[in-house]
Amino acid sequence: MLKSRIAAALVGSLMVFGAAGNATAQDTIKVGANLPMSGPNAELGEIFSRAAGIAVKHINADKMLSKPVELAIEDSQATPQGGVVAMNKLVSVTKVPYVLSAYTAVSKAIAPVGDRAKVVSINGGAVGPDLAELGDYFWNVIPLVNFEAEVLIPFVVKEKGLKNIVLIFVDDPLGESVQKVLRAEVPKAGGKLVGELQVPRAAQQFASIAANVRQLKPDAIYIASFGTQVNQIVKQLRDNGVTQQLMSYSAMSTPSIAELPEAKGAWYTTQSADFTTSALGQRVAKEYKELSGKDANAYVANYYNAVMVFGILAQQLEKAGKPITGTNLLEQRRASPNFDLIGGKMAFQQNGTVAAPVQIQEIDGTGTGKRIK
Amino acid sequence: MVLLQLFLNGLQLGAIYALTAVGFSLIFGSTKIFHVAHGSAFAISGYIYWWLASKLGVPWPIATLAAVIAAAAFGLLMERFIYRPIQRHEASFFTVFIAAFGVQLFIQNLIGTVAGRGMETVNTPLSRSVEIMDGLFVAPISAISIVVAIVVFTALSYFLGRTHIGIAMRALSENPDLVRVFGLDPGRVAQYAFVIGSAVVVPGAIFTAMTAGLNPAIGTHVMLVSLAATIVGGIGSVRGAACGGMLLGLAENLAYWKLDPQWSEAVTFVVLFAFIVFRPSGFFGSPTAAR
Repeated sequence: MLKSRIAAALVGSLMVFGAAGNATAQDTIKVGANLPMSGPNAELGEIFSRAAGIAVKHINADKMLSKPVELAIEDSQATPQGGVVAMNKLVSVTKVPYVLSAYTAVSKAIAPVGDRAKVVSINGGAVGPDLAELGDYFWNVIPLVNFEAEVLIPFVVKEKGLKNIVLIFVDDPLGESVQKVLRAEVPKAGGKLVGELQVPRAAQQFASIAANVRQLKPDAIYIASFGTQVNQIVKQLRDNGVTQQLMSYSAMSTPSIAELPEAKGAWYTTQSADFTTSALGQRVAKEYKELSGKDANAYVANYYNAVMVFGILAQQLEKAGKPITGTNLLEQRRASPNFDLIGGKMAFQQNGTVAAPVQIQEIDGTGTGKRIK
Repeated sequence: MVLLQLFLNGLQLGAIYALTAVGFSLIFGSTKIFHVAHGSAFAISGYIYWWLASKLGVPWPIATLAAVIAAAAFGLLMERFIYRPIQRHEASFFTVFIAAFGVQLFIQNLIGTVAGRGMETVNTPLSRSVEIMDGLFVAPISAISIVVAIVVFTALSYFLGRTHIGIAMRALSENPDLVRVFGLDPGRVAQYAFVIGSAVVVPGAIFTAMTAGLNPAIGTHVMLVSLAATIVGGIGSVRGAACGGMLLGLAENLAYWKLDPQWSEAVTFVVLFAFIVFRPSGFFGSPTAAR
């Protein structure tokens, strides 16, 4: 008798909570986020989701839309399989019109899902050049690595005279994209790619990679990996007698790399994201620091901007009396491709990728480092 | 010289793998429990050491002791509150596996929430290599890890061969009912296995914190290596697990001599498969006939 009463109470509670949940869902506009919230890349997922959360807070505080925006985060674990499962849930169950994405391999896996369902995916962290060709419903709010390399490689080879470069790259679409880009850019700048060392994604030991690098006698080493593997590579190269210049793309802009003593002096590219020159940048930097205790970086700018792009487009749609769907968001972006957000003015090109200025940072042990070009 | 460098790198890595594998083998050999959460003991002890030594500036002997206590306590809690209740209901191997896997995921996320999701290292001059010969770099931590591994294995071998508890643990692995007949409590003996098996990972965790760094997901990688080394060494053989771990560390590094780096991890599994196919009982396991 008691057991059946308890069971009935439980069922009743579930129905009440379920109903409440449904009522909440209808009262908000959901934006999806397909980010690595667990595993070795969770540090970046945390940065991305915090930045997106600040943008959602601003949209709601400024009452930009008729209903509050809610962020629906699913864990991709930075793997294509995890990303597709998460994307399917966001598209089919949560029914979002817009999804934040990250990681080249994940983005390439989820793009067809978004394309079929006419749901926009927007990337603020992955840099593989292929991401510019993933269809109308895949956008990039970050310059891709080919743009970053076009700035960094001539600086390294011509201005700094470091001609012989070794590439350490992860066994992943991102790594292979960077390999392709460097194979083109390094000779073009007058340098030479003297070694290409591909490492497994799950690898954690790099002492023997350091031995290989020492043998190749490069002037500089380009690291194309992501997550904690970048930190491990940097530390173990330095610990094992590699003293040459280290460099990378925006994957080096994490707080843990900034605090790593062995990373001091390393160069990396990001898009220009100066938080000090605009009131918006200062507001976001302040709130991010209060939330996380760390300085804001380019990734914070990207994912803040990614959500703000949605907010601005959705606002325009509401004013025009149109529903907020992926198709309408795409049309609206094509009609008004220019945005003034963190980092200044940015414009979406026809292929859905922004053109934005790129800067070179040097890690100096303080926050995000110093800009050197 | 490159070959010698790779060999030395392999010895250091092999020592760390051996230390973690021995703990898993001891637990599995004694209790027949597939302790998938063994990697969590590694992660917990590594982070405790990092937090005390790096963040709070606690002297390393105290930080090490705290890490040992934390790992041992984790093993004890797992045996007492997870595995024993499951076994009391005669649950299947799969139930034990899922429970341990769930605990590992929980610990991974707990560490990420408390300590952060990024990589953490213990900054020490011991990890900096010195060029001892032209093209040959060795860090003090390499020699220390090998010496510590030898000391731990020697101590463990003495313990298992010459002490009452050690002999009881070996007896438990062969016949738990007979252990009861002789007046020993199998549950109590199993607890010793978990405490010692979990404590043995601590040196490996500390060396990893100093060299490759820690991240919340490190337990999974450690578990895979421990499992591979246990199979290569022979299930139930602590000596075999040590040899298996050393072999895998050497294989992973020596692979760089002739193969591209992306094959280094595959070599580990080639070694594993070779043993499964040609010597399924491993280095020192006992061959059993099919009935």
